[in-house]
Amino acid sequence: MATRKKVLLKVIILGDSSVGKTSLMNQYINKKFTNQYKATIGADFLTKEVMVDDRIVTLQIWDTAGQERFQSLGVAFYRGADCCVLVFDVASPGSFKSLDGWRDEFLIQASPSNPDHFPFVVLGNKADLENRTVSTKRAQQWCQNKNGLPYFETSAKEATNVDQAFITIARNALAQDTDVELYNDFPEQIKLSGSTENRSSGSDNCAC
Amino acid sequence: MSYSSRIFQSPEYVSFRCNVPLKQIVLDETGTNKGWRVYDTGPRSVETPLVFLHPVSGRAEVFFKQLLTLSSKGYRVISAENPPYWSVTEWCEGFMQLLDHMDIKQVHLFGASLGGFLAQKFVEFSTIVHQPRVISLFLCNSFTDTSIFKYKDAAVLFWILPAMVLRKMVLSNFASRETFYDTQIMDSIDFMVELIESLSQADLASRLTINCLNSRVNKSLMRGLKSVTLMDVFDDYALGSPIKENIYKEYPDAKLAQLKSGGNFPYLSRSDEVNLHLQIHLRKFNGTPYSANDNIPITE
Repeated sequence: MATRKKVLLKVIILGDSSVGKTSLMNQYINKKFTNQYKATIGADFLTKEVMVDDRIVTLQIWDTAGQERFQSLGVAFYRGADCCVLVFDVASPGSFKSLDGWRDEFLIQASPSNPDHFPFVVLGNKADLENRTVSTKRAQQWCQNKNGLPYFETSAKEATNVDQAFITIARNALAQDTDVELYNDFPEQIKLSGSTENRSSGSDNCAC
Repeated sequence: MSYSSRIFQSPEYVSFRCNVPLKQIVLDETGTNKGWRVYDTGPRSVETPLVFLHPVSGRAEVFFKQLLTLSSKGYRVISAENPPYWSVTEWCEGFMQLLDHMDIKQVHLFGASLGGFLAQKFVEFSTIVHQPRVISLFLCNSFTDTSIFKYKDAAVLFWILPAMVLRKMVLSNFASRETFYDTQIMDSIDFMVELIESLSQADLASRLTINCLNSRVNKSLMRGLKSVTLMDVFDDYALGSPIKENIYKEYPDAKLAQLKSGGNFPYLSRSDEVNLHLQIHLRKFNGTPYSANDNIPITE
């Protein structure tokens, strides 16, 4: 490949309701924070062009509803995801316990080709709060047990660590996307004939 | 004529044709035109429906996957295919008559390629001659200026060319299906190729004429637009990236619904993603007078 193709990277943010998924996305893209809580209905996304290691990539960040009753848009937004961000609230042990569930949910819905090495990034949000109940150590332990996932403690309110976290997210997403491309390139090279009849219904032509 | 492509034979398409009536709406008194071909689905009580406008090569059927899905979710969605019109203004007048005939005062427009260009021209047209009628635009693989097309000098002669030559011109813009290695994109191309066969010489010649005669969108003439979404694909399609950059520049506040892949016809090849983006685009109007949906939205 002589010319580098433009890249679109799809990032999905998951986590319990009110852990700050929308706030993190807004802080990263619009540099804004509001204390007012408004539940996300279904899903929404924002895009941003960023440089990742001298490459311009378009990040498409999907913010999803944490509450099940708002998940009205189906699962099409999982398709082709390059990175999944799992968010919990450091002051809410329940939201931390849910991470396993969100991770499983993602792996089932998106069914990535290499689930064991799919890039997840874990964010412990609201790190500015005094009354934290999930210790850094405990969160790091969990990430360690899942093949060493990157972990950041963020505050969407004070913009702490948000940019750093998203740089890692973008970089890992890009690495994942490049992997998939290599994968997809493979069958292209071994085209056997111009005929398209055998393309997908090989069994129809089988004489046995 | 018998159709053999996979989409034509899919149960989904067959069910669409069995359940949704095709209306022919003839607007000119002389009866020389064969009229608009229209599919109107979803609740008729909705006063601001979403209307789909096809590309040069398409027919009203190309949006059947959007019509099926969105109508089942309570949206009123209409696909409208125009009879031959030989200029943008003629088209806009015709479309205005169609909306009047259907008693639709305001619309959301989805335009693919040429359909997107015409949708933008209609925003201008309705602003100038009447009052703004377009609430929102969803433009898919579209453009703001026809000068990008290589045939502009020959455009005045299209009316004289035989259908076969015109078909060839359209088909030459399709990337060869074999370059994609993606079953859904290949199916979408096969479907479009079969549809082109069913278009008359006048259909093809008039659409190509509009597509190639010099004309550009003038955004300063647009009023009333509340929201714009731009959709494009990151794999190869007929329009290259300078055109994309132009349309991004023209609508700096637009939401960018970019797809990793999908080819020229993502509404066929990536229909679930397109339908998702359409719902996100329309959802903000739910519960307002501009809603394309008759359901009461979920609230907190």
